[in-house]
Amino acid sequence: MAKVFVIAEHRAGRLKTSTFELVGAAAGAGNETHVVLLGDGIGELAKELGPYGAKTVHLIQDPALKLYSAEAYSKALSALLKPAGPDIILASHTPTGRDFMPRLAARLGVGLASDCTQIGFNGTELKLRRPVYAGKATAEVEFMGPGPRMATIRPNTVGVPAPDPAKTAEIVNAAANLGTLKSKVLEVVKSSSSRPDVTEVPIVISGGRGLKSAENFKKLEDLADVLGAAVGASRAAVDAGFRPHRDQVGQTGKIVSPTLYIACGISGAIQHLAGMRTSKVIVAINTDAEAPIFQVADYGVVGDLFQVIPNLQEELKKIKEP
Amino acid sequence: MTWQTFLFIPIAMAAFGYSGYRFYILFKLMLSHRARSGRTDQLGSRFKTSIINVLGQKAVLRKKTPGIMHTTLLWAFLLITVGTVEQFATTIYPPANFEFIGREPYWFLMLVQDIATLGVLVAVAYFSYRRFIVRPEGLGRSLDGTLVLTFTGTLKIALFLMNGFLLLGQHPWYASAMPVSELVAAGLSVLHFSPEINASLATLFKWVHMLIVLVFACYIPHSKHRHILFSVANTFFKSLSHSKSMTPINFEDESVQQYGAAKINDLSWKDALDYYSCTECGRCQDMCPAYNTQKPLTPKMLIVDLRENLYRNRNQLMNGKLEEVSPVIDENITDDVIWSCTSCRACEIACPVFVEHTNKIYDIRRNLVMMESRFPGEVQTVFKNLETNGSPWAFSPEDRLKWTEGLSIKTMSEDPKIDILFWVGCAGAFDDRNRKVIRAFASLLKKAEIRFAILGSEERCTGDAARRIGNEYLFQTLAKANIETLNRYQVKKIVTACPHCFNTLKNEYKDFGGNYEVIHHSEFIAQLIQEGKIKPTKALDASVTFHDSCYLGRWNNIYDEPRSVLEALPSARMVEMSQNRAESMCCGAGGGRMWMEEKLGKRINVTRTEQALGTNAEIIASSCPFCITMIKDGLTTKEMSDKVRVMDLAELVDQSTP
Repeated sequence: MAKVFVIAEHRAGRLKTSTFELVGAAAGAGNETHVVLLGDGIGELAKELGPYGAKTVHLIQDPALKLYSAEAYSKALSALLKPAGPDIILASHTPTGRDFMPRLAARLGVGLASDCTQIGFNGTELKLRRPVYAGKATAEVEFMGPGPRMATIRPNTVGVPAPDPAKTAEIVNAAANLGTLKSKVLEVVKSSSSRPDVTEVPIVISGGRGLKSAENFKKLEDLADVLGAAVGASRAAVDAGFRPHRDQVGQTGKIVSPTLYIACGISGAIQHLAGMRTSKVIVAINTDAEAPIFQVADYGVVGDLFQVIPNLQEELKKIKEP
Repeated sequence: MTWQTFLFIPIAMAAFGYSGYRFYILFKLMLSHRARSGRTDQLGSRFKTSIINVLGQKAVLRKKTPGIMHTTLLWAFLLITVGTVEQFATTIYPPANFEFIGREPYWFLMLVQDIATLGVLVAVAYFSYRRFIVRPEGLGRSLDGTLVLTFTGTLKIALFLMNGFLLLGQHPWYASAMPVSELVAAGLSVLHFSPEINASLATLFKWVHMLIVLVFACYIPHSKHRHILFSVANTFFKSLSHSKSMTPINFEDESVQQYGAAKINDLSWKDALDYYSCTECGRCQDMCPAYNTQKPLTPKMLIVDLRENLYRNRNQLMNGKLEEVSPVIDENITDDVIWSCTSCRACEIACPVFVEHTNKIYDIRRNLVMMESRFPGEVQTVFKNLETNGSPWAFSPEDRLKWTEGLSIKTMSEDPKIDILFWVGCAGAFDDRNRKVIRAFASLLKKAEIRFAILGSEERCTGDAARRIGNEYLFQTLAKANIETLNRYQVKKIVTACPHCFNTLKNEYKDFGGNYEVIHHSEFIAQLIQEGKIKPTKALDASVTFHDSCYLGRWNNIYDEPRSVLEALPSARMVEMSQNRAESMCCGAGGGRMWMEEKLGKRINVTRTEQALGTNAEIIASSCPFCITMIKDGLTTKEMSDKVRVMDLAELVDQSTP
């Protein structure tokens, strides 16, 4: 049995599902599971962790932690964790986890296994699996030398256990011990889009120059709403000013690998293929039967997307709302 | 000995002493540079090149009118300098005139000087007109340029006034050798001065001339006019070959602490000589595709700003306080400046004094990439793919054979008994558009009954992009892997349809033990047509313009072969873009730019496509997969894809050959 510390992650007053995953995995393997929750005015969240198996929640509250900052997080965490003597420290492999965990590892002077997709507990040791070569192979990782062992775990890989409302965790308030901070987060500017990012969801619908205008992307957005998908774009569409660069899928944009990728009015230049061809299922809609996109597509529709998409949307609605 | 002797000697000594000291500082600063530059080989060729380009002004004359005027100025000044030396000598010791060369030669010397003086004034008038009235964009306006013109002009006016009063005052025996001065004298005679006053005024203007010469001598080391000395040296030390390879880094050398240039003195003495030689004429800027599409890079200002950086760090460098030298990336030379370069070398080819702009950019990129990990984010993907897949795109090496489906093309592992290896390249192997080019070229090879094979899954990216972006380590990894494969099959001869692969294989693998005869497919097709092995017979019946690839043209001086291929196509009507051959504009993909987003200014590929569309050609012919990709995108942007096609030479010849 190991003493495991999970670093919780929360946004907009809610704990992230990936945190429950890690707590569940650690507690499920019979470990003494601690959770560290950092922020300001987030005491209520601590109560949610007990049902997933947390034994103790260490609550660090400080105005300087209200907005996430890598420096404040790593300082507060190392101050807490050094005397606590954990065997294992876990965080989610999210943009936040990827940011502060390497700093924390450096402060503690130990190694870090990042982006792990499988986690095994063996006494006080960790056995991890992480994908290498763009997922073509898997490496099994163990640690050498003195601990603690640190790892970041990719979200949605270990699963969330059913919570047991009868279980509660002991909540301990801990001091922040931030000392003098060299940086301060003034504000977080949210991107104007309320839509999910193309790299974050299992379904992506992308449009190319074939959409002809920025307004026509509304049609893709409507379809995306039905499917809970993100809307992407080819470089040509971005260059034409139809979409912002952050939506660009391709070699020089975002590289995505969703479960379902729907390419609408995209010819499939290599620049685009390089960003999406590892998607599990690819559907292409294009008027040109010779377009290279059909070579990588699992399903192809040769036709006018302005007819195909509304039809598709109708059919999907019928399935969803019988 | 006269009062003039005693007045002149101390003034001249002070002036030349100061000027000499300033030049000494410039020289010391040059020698404070860290990197080496082996430019002391082939002395014979270097002398020859120097004579052709300094005295012959070959490169300067590429621009016609300014070139002729500059040549006039140079030769006139050289001739007048003889007179100035005589003037200095006779001031110190009056009998020391040059009449000892004989009466006729001296008379002739005076004649050429008199005409040369007028020549300088004509040139000064032209350059003033150009600088202040025409105002070419690349030239810009600077106080320095104005001062140099003022000095040059007043020097000659003083000479004419001196000669004019001299002719009126004492009328020397060689007066008939000074027709222009005679005219001046005729004009001055209306003043009706006494002979004594005329003689005194002649002496006065002699002093005016001498003092301006001395002030000018002091000013030159501070001015771009220092090029009169440094550009001679720069021409002597220029790169002798048209083709160019980048300097390898020896990664085995464990004493090396730093790669690339972080500070100005990390560059080489030749780089400093480049800044000293630059006359800020702006020919480089006029040709730069980045500048012409509103990117922050201008090759001229890059050189000027590097020079400013060098001067700013003068005390630190002179006193050996190297740790206090400020970084080479500063408020002028920003990251965007460094990443805007497409490595097209239009600047270098345009430069009349052989400044090598791109070397500096590569050295700075090497430092940013290998020491600082500082580069456009999207490049990370390329590096990762090159490391794991051996291709800038994340395709499996096995997919390199996909284009051969149905063509029965052999790989080296299947049949190494061949005439020539066909190097396919990543674009040819993976990109659907360029696969068509490769298939067309393979078809031509078969029609010509050439025995060839490909490496197939054993081929890797040559590393061109990695090298140009600054990741020399990654480049060498790829190069060594490829050389190992090529040498294992004892490959002697390679043909490739990609100018980037071509340049790397031909010019850069030599440094790592890869010596092959490398031919670009445009040369190969031209040769096959010439030998009658391919006979294009089917009429093309279309107008064609040829877009020169930088790595074929400027990097390897191949301009005629692709054009001869197009001319061999029946009823192909060739039209040239105004920027063609050595002046061709880059498509925007070189120097690793293919793999970066173009967020600043107008897109280069669209600009070049507009130039091509301006010819009203129905076909834009190219011989480079990157150019094809960029121009194809340009045509899409201009919504001209259904009217104008971009095609490779191989495709055009193949469809015309039964």
